[in-house]
Amino acid sequence: MMIPAFILLIVFTYTPIIRGGVMAFQRYNMFDLSKIGFIGLGNFEAIINDRNFDFFRIVVNTLVWVFFSLVFQFGLGFGLALLMRKPFKGRGIYSALVFYPWAVSGFAIGLIWAWMFNGQFGIVNDILVRLGIIGNPIGFLSNPKYAMMSVIIANVWYGIPYFAIMLLAALQSVPNELYEASRIDGANRFKQLFKITIPYIRPTIISTVLLRTMWIMNFPEIIYGMTGGGPANSTQILATHMINRIYQFYDYGQGAAIGFIIMSMLLLYAIVFLNISSRKEVTV
Amino acid sequence: MKALMKVIGKILKILALGLYLLAALLPLYWVVVTSFKGSREIYTFPLKYLPEKLSFESYAKLFGFANFGVYFRNSAILALASAFVAMLISMFSGYALSRIQAKKFRNGTLLAMYFTQMVPPFILMAPLFVMLANYGMTDKLSTLFILYVTMVIAFSTIMSKSFFDRIPVSLEEAAVIDGCNTLQAMFKVVFPLTRPGLAAIFSFAFVNIWNELFLASMFIFSDEKMTVPVALNSFISKAGISWDVLSAGLVLSLLPTMIVFAFAQRYIIAGLTEGAIKG
Repeated sequence: MMIPAFILLIVFTYTPIIRGGVMAFQRYNMFDLSKIGFIGLGNFEAIINDRNFDFFRIVVNTLVWVFFSLVFQFGLGFGLALLMRKPFKGRGIYSALVFYPWAVSGFAIGLIWAWMFNGQFGIVNDILVRLGIIGNPIGFLSNPKYAMMSVIIANVWYGIPYFAIMLLAALQSVPNELYEASRIDGANRFKQLFKITIPYIRPTIISTVLLRTMWIMNFPEIIYGMTGGGPANSTQILATHMINRIYQFYDYGQGAAIGFIIMSMLLLYAIVFLNISSRKEVTV
Repeated sequence: MKALMKVIGKILKILALGLYLLAALLPLYWVVVTSFKGSREIYTFPLKYLPEKLSFESYAKLFGFANFGVYFRNSAILALASAFVAMLISMFSGYALSRIQAKKFRNGTLLAMYFTQMVPPFILMAPLFVMLANYGMTDKLSTLFILYVTMVIAFSTIMSKSFFDRIPVSLEEAAVIDGCNTLQAMFKVVFPLTRPGLAAIFSFAFVNIWNELFLASMFIFSDEKMTVPVALNSFISKAGISWDVLSAGLVLSLLPTMIVFAFAQRYIIAGLTEGAIKG
């Protein structure tokens, strides 16, 4: 009964993973197919020494992208989950209206937010000017100073529902008696949050944060739709860098090498993740 | 005093919920309004928060110069077919994984499935392309169909296993005692009970496939085979971004997944929290 799933995964997932691993060490440019052959670490050297795409900067960008997206997605998602914990009238409809971004494609979100952040006719500029917060419209996506912030805002908007959904489900598993007992003991809301709620849903918090970290790192769609990694590489992360290598330069060898770097990071991360989760009984 | 605090707390809560709602809906509102403005009004200052008069110009353009109807049909057929097939395959693989006795085999398989979940599809673009180009499998919707089933099969299996885990084995045993064979017990007793689970698997797969961009733009070159995300992408690269056509295309591209989400929200949330790794 498992054979169809096995065949598909072996042929179309595991084989290309291995093939990609091999390609990372090959010269493989689609413009020049006659020169395909092994070049050892040549691709990795080329990526790290590329003057137009500062590798160190791209790695730093990746970390900034992951860290700030995650912190705000989690914080705001948790806030929303707490607000929705107790049933209220219309909660079903409300949740459909705030959770729908989950179902929208990252690429579409990138395009929509690119339009919202448009330097001339964007609604964000318009609102900020009307409120008197800024004097003149800002080129959110054309100015390297603001571009990373803008793509992170879009990503935060996208990720709130995920955390809210997961944490809300966990919150509803906290027995009400715990809150009642603590109220009798004189605990206020704040104390309840830190002494009951958070300890109780800790496994969900750990697993969602760990999984989401990995997921955000490998989520190029929003950036691809908003800036394509620009301006001046200010929003270039490893994932978009890899896609550009393949789409624009047709350099599959270097693309595969970046993929190899990403995969190694993922594997390392997965090992750490499994270690933590087996120690703490995390529900995946 | 205490009553006052309670009222203030309640108002703050409603305010906060309102802010979340506003933030969630603003982008959707803005793209919908833009799509009904018509090209001239989009680029006028100051911005209008409601179109002066409802204009279908952008939609007419979308279906005029681009074959948007064709792209939409391609996407719809692909997403429906692959999600359905993935659901069927994962019904069997999930059931087998749930009922199998060999613990090592089960855990090993699960681990192998979880691992593929961590590999983002765009990593596989180049090697897949090189592999399949050798067999002349590029620029075919049938290739995308296979790739999409594969893309969602691992998490579909993980999800379906966790749904089957909840159905006690004793039910099947009872059915077998009553004279069913194993297959009959599966189809007549177990599968009907997992209908919500199957709905979750299907909607999950549908949303993910409908939204997929990178594999599709790697494998499809000809215009009449494009999917909706590929078409949107091509609108950008053609001649700068014209937001009239693009906003209309975006609105239409959002519709199917939003409809699925509206109807299957309960199942999707169950699926998400049930242990699917995919965000």
